Amino acid sequence: MTGQIHDLGYQRYAGARRSTTSRWTVILRHQIATAWQTWWRFKAWLVVAVLATGTGVALIYLASDTRLRMITNLRGAEVQLADGILPTFLGVFGVYDKIGFIAALFVATPAIARDVQSGAFTFYFARSVRPRDYVLGKLAGIGAVMALLLLAGPLVIALARLGLSDDWDDLIARLPTVAKALAVGVLGTVVYTAMPLACSALARSRGHAMVLWAGYYVVFSNLVVVAAMRTSAKWAVLDLPTALQSITLSMFDLQLRVRRSLDVPAGAAVISIAAHAAVAIGLMFWQVRNAQRAGVGGAA
Amino acid sequence: MTALIELDRLTKRYGAVTALDRLTAAVDGRIIGLLGPNGAGKSTLLKCLLGLIPYQGSARVLGLDASIDGTQIRDRVGYMPEQEAFLAGMSAVELCTYAGELSGLPRTEAMQRAHAALYYAGLEEKRYQPIDGYSTGMKQRVKLAQALVHDPEILFLDEPTNGLDPEAREDMLELIVDLPVRRGVAIVLSTHLLPDVERVCDRAVIMHRGALRFAGTIDELRGARGPGSELAVGVRADADRLATALASTGAICRVTSPVALEVDLPASATSQLVFQTARTAGIQIRELAVRRDSVEAAFLRVLGEPRDVATASAP
Repeated sequence: MTGQIHDLGYQRYAGARRSTTSRWTVILRHQIATAWQTWWRFKAWLVVAVLATGTGVALIYLASDTRLRMITNLRGAEVQLADGILPTFLGVFGVYDKIGFIAALFVATPAIARDVQSGAFTFYFARSVRPRDYVLGKLAGIGAVMALLLLAGPLVIALARLGLSDDWDDLIARLPTVAKALAVGVLGTVVYTAMPLACSALARSRGHAMVLWAGYYVVFSNLVVVAAMRTSAKWAVLDLPTALQSITLSMFDLQLRVRRSLDVPAGAAVISIAAHAAVAIGLMFWQVRNAQRAGVGGAA
Repeated sequence: MTALIELDRLTKRYGAVTALDRLTAAVDGRIIGLLGPNGAGKSTLLKCLLGLIPYQGSARVLGLDASIDGTQIRDRVGYMPEQEAFLAGMSAVELCTYAGELSGLPRTEAMQRAHAALYYAGLEEKRYQPIDGYSTGMKQRVKLAQALVHDPEILFLDEPTNGLDPEAREDMLELIVDLPVRRGVAIVLSTHLLPDVERVCDRAVIMHRGALRFAGTIDELRGARGPGSELAVGVRADADRLATALASTGAICRVTSPVALEVDLPASATSQLVFQTARTAGIQIRELAVRRDSVEAAFLRVLGEPRDVATASAP
């Protein structure tokens, strides 16, 4: 290049700049693009979620078959089989919980830790990006990605149930199912976005963040459940999967014999999730603000 | 007219440690060297100027108060960090486009300027490749391009030639010299490499242990004992006789050869005193020049001899 500098007709930028308060949307878009970039990071879990949702829809379709319904009616069932598919998926098997945990491991936990590892905080904060823009952008971006897995799936199953209603009265009677699916999906998205992102903010590298999140989800959860079973069921509210399951079962008015000892009131479970999310977001903000102040400058 | 950077008793303390101690200066120029040993407070000063940390006193950049208008300042300032500050897995053009958008440019504009900035930095063919596979020199160029993409008015360059081979270093210095001319960007160059400063800077700010030791032109730095106070004088003959005559006026002289001497003038005198004395003594002066140190020698001298900041700071 020596002696030759190309400037492609440089002109000073005179146009308007995007408002500082909307910079988080740039981070949001980048987060979604990053998640979409590699097959294993998000697309693989999306395929799993699509397969699970497809299975749910297929089961509802089969359960809506007139002959099957005649058999279940003969056996005196009070609830239609098709109505039980969604609660079973969400509350009994925790299908979307498991997808959420694994997807969070690959999508959410690297989101901040990777920036710490690569020195990208300097890249962000030497610009007019504030810590709150960064945190909001990451939360919204990862939230959007996780919502596609955890909110869209249950919603599609609920809508499929509506679509297979017998008549208008049946459809209207089942409308609350959509709201319930939405509520569970939103709570699941909050849990599987905020907590792994907090782990990501606390770790110094992507690997550490993954270990932290997996440790929290597997080890801490099981310790809480064991403690709750041995002492008082109310401690189970601290375990987020249990809290989510309790809310789901309560919404769909179900009880599981095997875990009755871990039942926690839905209200307490919602408060627990909200408190966890608030602490997680607070931790993220605190870590990111500290990193912002320390990150620019270097060893000059 | 507003100076690029104005500091008024700027002080930053971390607990009992004073990182910046009542810095007062008005800094202007095209390429300003920010010099000082490790721990001098350069990084802390940069953080204050970018509005990233709270401080006492006042710091203004482009007329904006850094404690209030930090985000506006960062929209108008480009920062090229010393350490790697990339996002994993991105190509240079993706990174620069993202940088432009984060600085408030619309997406299309950011993309166009990303291509132009990378082209300018000499990465025209390689700009679609992932940065992870770049050499040190190419990474330095990407860092420069991402600092330029949003069209800043000031560039803070932190050790831009660190780790570069001689050819790449030469290229980087060429770009640094070209930027103010072609793009009207002022540059604050933080570096340890004093030959780089000597080569490209027109002004310098020297810090030591959180205090400002010097702010002024490179010429002033090199003759920082006082402009024109130390002269190299060449005569046709009789250097001894001129030295004796000058000594009687209060000057301190060192005869270096029969036809040359060095003269330290008294505080209020100018070079006219040498001409007058020589004329009176009937000695012909062949050459008279202000004796200047190299930037390196001047830098060491400034660090070793604390000067009055008020007299050293010059716009």
